[in-house]
Amino acid sequence: MSNENVKTVTVDETVNEDELFHFVPYSAEQAEAIGYSDYSYWGSVLKNFLKNKVAVTLAILFIALFIFSFIALAIGKYNFAELKTDTTMAFISPNSEYWFGTDNLGRDYWCQVWYASQTSIKLAALVAVGECALGVTIGLIWGYIRSADRFFTELYNLINNIPTIIYMTLIALLVGRSFIIMAVSMILIGWLTMARNVRNLVIMYRDREYNLASRCLGTPLGRILAKNILPYLISVIILRLSLSIPSTISLESTLSYLGLGLDNDTPSLGILLRDARNYFLNYPYLLIFPAVIVSIITVTFYLVGNAFSDAADPRNHV
Amino acid sequence: MKNSVKRLLALATASAMLVGSLSACGGSSDSGTDDTTSGGSSASSESGDSSVSGAVAVSTVNMDDSADAIEDLVLYETTAREVESLNVLYSQSATDFYVSTNLQDGLLTNDEYGNLKANLAESWEHNDDSTVWTFYLRQDAYWVDSNGDAQAQITAEDFVTGLEWVLNAYKNEASNTSMPIEMIAGASEYYEMTAAMTEEEALALTNEDFMEVVGISTPDEFTVEYTLLASKTYFDTVATYACLYPAPTALLEQLTEESDVATAVETFRSCTYTNMWYSGPYILTYFVSKSEKVFEPNLYWWGNDEYTRFNSVTVKMVDDMDVAFTLYESGDIDQVTLSESNLTIIYNNESNQWYDYLTEQQPTKYSYQFHLCYNKNTEDGEPDTNWNTAVANENFRLALYYGLDLTNYYKRTNAINPLKCENNFYTMSGLIYTSDGTDYTTLVKDLLGLGDYNGESMVRLDTTLAEQYKEAAMEELSALGVTFPVEIDYYIASGSSTAQDSADVLADAISDGLGDDFVVLNIKTYVSSLSTEVRTPKLASIYTNGWGADYGDPQNYLGQETFGNDNAYYSVYYSCINDFYGEDGEEPYSEELIATYEEYTALVEAADAIVDDLDARYAAYAEAEAYLLEHALVIPCNYSISWQLTCVNDYSKINAMYGIQNNRYLNWETNANGYTTADYEAFAAAYATGNTSEAE
Amino acid sequence: MLKYSLKRILQGLLTVLLIATVVFLLMRMLPTDYYFTEEQQMKFTDEQKEAALAAAGLTDPIGEQLLDFYWDLLHLDFGESRRIQSGVSVVDVIGEKFTISMRMGVISLAISLGLGVLLGIGQTIGKDRLVDHIGTAYTVFVNAVPALVSYSLVLVIGSRVFGLPSVYSSRSNTALSMVLPIICISLSSIAGYALWTRRYMVDEITKDYIKLGKVKGLSTSQIMVRHVLRNAFVPLAQYLPASFLLTISGSLLAERFFSVPGMGPLLTDAIGRYDLNVVQTLVILYGSLGVLGVFLGDVLMMLIDPRISLTGKGGGAR
Repeated sequence: MSNENVKTVTVDETVNEDELFHFVPYSAEQAEAIGYSDYSYWGSVLKNFLKNKVAVTLAILFIALFIFSFIALAIGKYNFAELKTDTTMAFISPNSEYWFGTDNLGRDYWCQVWYASQTSIKLAALVAVGECALGVTIGLIWGYIRSADRFFTELYNLINNIPTIIYMTLIALLVGRSFIIMAVSMILIGWLTMARNVRNLVIMYRDREYNLASRCLGTPLGRILAKNILPYLISVIILRLSLSIPSTISLESTLSYLGLGLDNDTPSLGILLRDARNYFLNYPYLLIFPAVIVSIITVTFYLVGNAFSDAADPRNHV
Repeated sequence: MKNSVKRLLALATASAMLVGSLSACGGSSDSGTDDTTSGGSSASSESGDSSVSGAVAVSTVNMDDSADAIEDLVLYETTAREVESLNVLYSQSATDFYVSTNLQDGLLTNDEYGNLKANLAESWEHNDDSTVWTFYLRQDAYWVDSNGDAQAQITAEDFVTGLEWVLNAYKNEASNTSMPIEMIAGASEYYEMTAAMTEEEALALTNEDFMEVVGISTPDEFTVEYTLLASKTYFDTVATYACLYPAPTALLEQLTEESDVATAVETFRSCTYTNMWYSGPYILTYFVSKSEKVFEPNLYWWGNDEYTRFNSVTVKMVDDMDVAFTLYESGDIDQVTLSESNLTIIYNNESNQWYDYLTEQQPTKYSYQFHLCYNKNTEDGEPDTNWNTAVANENFRLALYYGLDLTNYYKRTNAINPLKCENNFYTMSGLIYTSDGTDYTTLVKDLLGLGDYNGESMVRLDTTLAEQYKEAAMEELSALGVTFPVEIDYYIASGSSTAQDSADVLADAISDGLGDDFVVLNIKTYVSSLSTEVRTPKLASIYTNGWGADYGDPQNYLGQETFGNDNAYYSVYYSCINDFYGEDGEEPYSEELIATYEEYTALVEAADAIVDDLDARYAAYAEAEAYLLEHALVIPCNYSISWQLTCVNDYSKINAMYGIQNNRYLNWETNANGYTTADYEAFAAAYATGNTSEAE
Repeated sequence: MLKYSLKRILQGLLTVLLIATVVFLLMRMLPTDYYFTEEQQMKFTDEQKEAALAAAGLTDPIGEQLLDFYWDLLHLDFGESRRIQSGVSVVDVIGEKFTISMRMGVISLAISLGLGVLLGIGQTIGKDRLVDHIGTAYTVFVNAVPALVSYSLVLVIGSRVFGLPSVYSSRSNTALSMVLPIICISLSSIAGYALWTRRYMVDEITKDYIKLGKVKGLSTSQIMVRHVLRNAFVPLAQYLPASFLLTISGSLLAERFFSVPGMGPLLTDAIGRYDLNVVQTLVILYGSLGVLGVFLGDVLMMLIDPRISLTGKGGGAR
């Protein structure tokens, strides 16, 4: 669209300079229009975002991937719940019967990969949203309200300085292990990074002159946080959010490696990657399929996050 | 400085000897005292030499004539198997013994067939009813420090100190007490006595005090005598185990002089490779936890002429077997056990450079069984009546016994010869031989009427029989209100993909062999501790568990399954059959089951009572074992036989099914180019004939 | 400032004490059976277990244990390892390991900070050009591929193609055997520094004072280094001291992978083996370093950016 315009202008330029500028008759309507801005923050964000073709494509690809994971399970020749081990069928490279080949025990890899993708996406999304909600709320309060700084710094120190692995071990031993427990415990630990990021930025912005002015005018706290400060943070928040997805997947695979991950009847991409590690030199497809899916997910979130955070920066809005 | 230490040591040595001769005052002769003096002085003079020229002069590490033999061996261990304690008396872990067996000597050792062999004891004998055992020590054995300097002679006194250490509650903190308490007179009393004392009182006890209570004495400087609670025909096999190892009396005295008893005890218990004294063939000269260990020959070791040793043995710690495999490929280590994946990859490709070098290991010393739980609970703590009723039914158990085709399960450990892993006995094969050299398990095999290994299908598998038992069980159990399929809860460690894969294979074996209408295996996981998370709350229906022998007698195996015995390990912790025993016992699910257990227990007790004729004893045990298996009270599972790439001939290693003598780096044959499959087959054949000829 | 520092340090000590207490109590929530190995479970009688627990002081009432713990802490007596290296004092166990971890950590921190910030600057200057895309691709790759996989790749390529040792060796070739683990540790932190440097610099570059600078005729390099980088470095600086101090803790995955006898796997091992003294000491150590790191980070941030005040009573709601 924009390209076309440019072309027209250049053509016009060479043809006739006079026709470029001409007087316009007074119009009451247009005069009003200039005086009134229909600027909508989120509208601009969306508009800016949609300009980034790569990010949009990836976002669509990801949504397609997620939807396809359901279709894939439905059209696959084997049902995940009914997989049989048969070592004589082990390590069969992908073919028309086994679309993604078979694993070390001769089980169809296709349904395992797609089942695991669903698990991982669900977990990562849940954790990211949870972390964001909790982290931003606490981060704003922490950064803005001086008297709360002490408390939250202490809390942060306490939680952050006790290694994650201790929490995870204790939770696994005392509470148990399931998808929900896993998600909740990852949120309860993961919000810290987000909150601290937000808090640091809030400290940078809270004493700027326009906020002083706002306070003098008696703007309520909630409004200052939501309208004056939050927009500056959105780009960072979104970036953080998009990075939390790969890190959730990676943390999950590390935890599985240590035996503290998901239960064995809900395999995740992390678990598949962990297992494939032993065979990938000789049977690379065992690593490639889950790795490609993981990469699509994480690359999408990274680029979409970046594009979105650029789009969310009010200074990029005209 | 060094001189004064030496003098002090000499003094300590001398005083140790003095105590020794005093304590044995009754039977001690003058010659004993003479030996002491000469021994003591020779020790210190020799240590003087070694600091100058010892290293080269004494070293007679002569390997095989073959030019390919390795002089500096490099092995690996996975980091999970790092040493926790170097104190052989204190440790109870097989991983630790793998290291300390090279550093310390016990009374006896084993040869490559597992037969007993003289070590610190040159000879040994027992009285007619096997209640008093006498060991005659060699007189050329010394304690050396970490510099390799000889410090004191090893005498009978050191064995008293060692046993006192084990049985003193404040010294060894109850480690390794079970066998002495079970066998040696007064051991239990001494342990209880020290446990009841304050720390100060307990540490003040002397060896004389100890010998008054416990059945150990030193008729002379180099003789130790143990008096047992009852006849134990197999007590000499215990002499290869850590609980009867000596402790350096002189070192303990020296440490006590330097500070006080409590500190000395603490220091000795948590000894490090630099402050401990060595009595074994090697000294640990380098040790960084989770990284590397280096063993070098102990130049004062008595067996220098009798055994060949390596110039050095390095053990590298690696994260897993796949890392080890890359190290083997790059020539950094001389042996690697293959994971299932690596084995499959090599075996499936004849042009693989390692294809011809695949060698089969000997079985580990563990005999794996399916242990059935007869008093299982559900996760909410209520008795799992469905399972308990089913498993109490003999037809149900026999259907499992005959119907399980475990070939695929065996492939998990041995993808090439899976059926070699088939285990049809409770007692480990190769543990006990009758006087004519027959393996004890052969007796059981004959009683059970089992066929021979044929390499095609499992020996005990019988699908028609299984089908009959299944039908009978379903009929009988349906009448009792059991719902089918019966759910079998099976627990594995979480996070272990190997365990997960094995369990999946097992689940499929059960489903294929017995049908989904009959039983179904639920695979569940525990995080950290099987005993805490599963065994104590009694959540599992079946366990696969291996038992390695502590001593060379069927009692060590069969005794663990007896009914109503608090020391019967499996009856208490796994089958929970003991819960139905005694006055406040619960109501059994089947009287018939209890009767079967009682009959079995009677057979074991009868066998244990035979002490004058070993062959008759073993025959009686074989009968009890056959009874146990015929009624499928437990179901034999597998042996663990893996494949490896190696430059070491396993058949030249010590291979005992009990004790801690395996993995001594002595007389190992090596080939720097690696052994081929053919080499190993030849070794195996020679080994098989060698054993029978020796026995005959 | 001095008063503030003292106050912060005191608060820090309190935090560490709190952390230590929480961990102490958490670890004692575990059933005492975890104290024993499976082998000990097998051969120990109940009396033996009781005796072993009593010897370790675990049968005392919890309050008494806690008091003992504080008392020992006051004397800087951290006790002895129970199962990691039986009977060896915890200080020695850690002392042997931390130098190895720290040496590798500091080297990799220097590498990743240098390369990362350079890459970030390059990306900002060449925004939307080749450098930026390469940098982004690298960041995306590192974040997208789970560590388990990328480490495997480094291991294989490093050892097969370049013939580097795949296992750490403490006796010979130590420097060479450190190469691969250092590469692994640096991989993701280079990406991290590059990502955040770029992010903050791009944020900064759109600000009005930069435009003013450009108008005033400052050269790009002057603007970049003197204004943009300095401002963008503020949020990064916050984390530097902590990252430096915590190099001591090593990297769990990398050290396991290359069998480095460092601090990384120590904590998980200690938890797995229920070695209470080691767990507690490690947590106290990491806690102290973490708290100190945050404090130094705040100080550094203040030094670099005078607008930020942590002591003043200026703005902000109370």
